[in-house]
Amino acid sequence: MSGEADELMGRNVDAPSRLNAVARYALATVLVALALLISLALQKSFGNPFWFFFSVAVILSTWFGRTGPGWLSVVCSTLAVMYYFTPPIHSFAVSPTDLPYFLTFVACEVGAAQLISWRRRTEDALRQARDELELRVAERTAELKNANEALLERMNEQKRTEETLQATQAELARAARITTIGELTASIAHEVNQPLAAVVANADACVAWLSRPHPDLWEARAAAERATEGATRASDVIARIRSLITKATPEKSRVLINRVMKETAILAEGQAARNNVAIELELSPESPVVLGDSIQLQQVILNLVMNAIDAMTTVTDRPRTLTLRSESPDNGHIRVVVQDSGIGLTEDVKGRLFEPFFTTRSKGMGMGLSISRSIIEAHGGRLWAESNGSGGATFQFTLAREDRTSA
Amino acid sequence: MKEQEPTVFVIDDDRMIRDGLQSLIRSVGLRVETFASAQDFLGAKRPDTPACLVLDVRMPGLSGLDLQLKLRDDGIPIPIIFITGHGDIPMSVRAMKEGAHEFLTKPVRGQDLLDAVQKALASDRALRQERLEANEIRSRFESLTPREKEVLDLVVEGLLNKQIADQLGMSELTVKTHRAHVMEKTHADSLAHLVRMAEKRKSSIRK
Repeated sequence: MSGEADELMGRNVDAPSRLNAVARYALATVLVALALLISLALQKSFGNPFWFFFSVAVILSTWFGRTGPGWLSVVCSTLAVMYYFTPPIHSFAVSPTDLPYFLTFVACEVGAAQLISWRRRTEDALRQARDELELRVAERTAELKNANEALLERMNEQKRTEETLQATQAELARAARITTIGELTASIAHEVNQPLAAVVANADACVAWLSRPHPDLWEARAAAERATEGATRASDVIARIRSLITKATPEKSRVLINRVMKETAILAEGQAARNNVAIELELSPESPVVLGDSIQLQQVILNLVMNAIDAMTTVTDRPRTLTLRSESPDNGHIRVVVQDSGIGLTEDVKGRLFEPFFTTRSKGMGMGLSISRSIIEAHGGRLWAESNGSGGATFQFTLAREDRTSA
Repeated sequence: MKEQEPTVFVIDDDRMIRDGLQSLIRSVGLRVETFASAQDFLGAKRPDTPACLVLDVRMPGLSGLDLQLKLRDDGIPIPIIFITGHGDIPMSVRAMKEGAHEFLTKPVRGQDLLDAVQKALASDRALRQERLEANEIRSRFESLTPREKEVLDLVVEGLLNKQIADQLGMSELTVKTHRAHVMEKTHADSLAHLVRMAEKRKSSIRK
């Protein structure tokens, strides 16, 4: 499309400017004049009648100038043909012999103008619709973009909230644990103190009966027996508390140790990620089975894994890697290994690691490893710790394989 | 007025402690009655002897402190020795404020408990004596006629027979007769004794 046409069509069709209207009518006139000149020039070589340039002028005028100029070009063309090309020449009359031909020409002109004008209007309407659509699409796109940004912001916010929530939950859990310990201690103190009070009262009574001028042996013996009874009760309380912490007889069932390890790794994932620790899972391809309490075993592994992550939080000069490995040597045992690249174990720490209430952490309670060892021993296994040559520590435990020993 | 055998009441929900304390207190020759709960103690018939209470603070049902308040409200003045486990400081404060005789922590040393029991019994004995005397005086004074009471009040105020006769509008001889009756009825050895008894009666009424 020509630059001029572009310019014409770029304007609002419903309210063309005055200058524009003048230009369009001028264009129609010029085009008809041009057609007339060409036809006159070619008339010499091609003979009469040669009027189709007028049709081109009408088509172009209608297309670029729209309806008004189109009709002007039709009128001008008709007049020009009547004057210059239909005998008698140089008059607006038309001879009867040429009349059908002339009328056909006029009909063609009118038809062309009508058709083109109709096409043009359709085109304009389409163009306008397209422009509006584009505008709407642009608006909608902008809206969507804004909505998207808002959504992204909201998602980030939610993520931050979730992280805060998680941290709070962890804090809460720790607080709850400490509170429970406090309550447990108070309750233990009361439970143990009661029989101790009985022991003291009865022992004192026993001494008092013996210290009389005539010692009453029967009363003294009765008091001594009650003292013994109290002491037995105190030791029962202690035994009960111990069995509360590590159930004396674990619920034993067939446990796929690899699955327990996988689950544990998933449980520890969040904590590991927060501390930039990579967990590497190396599971024995044999998928060994042990007889035991899967929840207790998971507790032990999770405890070892959490300890390992804690031991690496201050490490900055080497990758923080936690290897969780199951091995099945040929001796009918499985070995679960938790290896870290953390601060490692000093000789002093290594010696006291499994003592109850021994901890190197400010918030630790010092029961984890002691309980873990009790659990593994209750399963007939062994749990021990070693220092790595390259820094870090390795905790491992062995258990008898169920699928081997029973076979 | 002969001295009755004092009784120590031991209330503790723990049988072994109860038996131990009972044995301990009996070993020094005191009579002991044991109860497993405060309700049992309240329901039992108690001998009218000098007594004290050895009471566990924490007990199911009525606690030691509850029992203390109930006894006070019922007007049963009996010295209480509280025994408590650890961490009962607010309780101890409350009990002491309400007039607990002694507060011992578990496990109690035998000698500490026996000392506390002896002290509590001595204090109860003194209190009972005082109450008995007050009652005696009250009953003596109540046997006086209204006229004798009027004379007594003025005598105690330190007035002379003549002044009393003037004030009550009677002869000096009549005053003398009333006065002799008062001295006889109240078992007063002297004027000083009479005044002391009158003071005691006043203070016991005020109580």
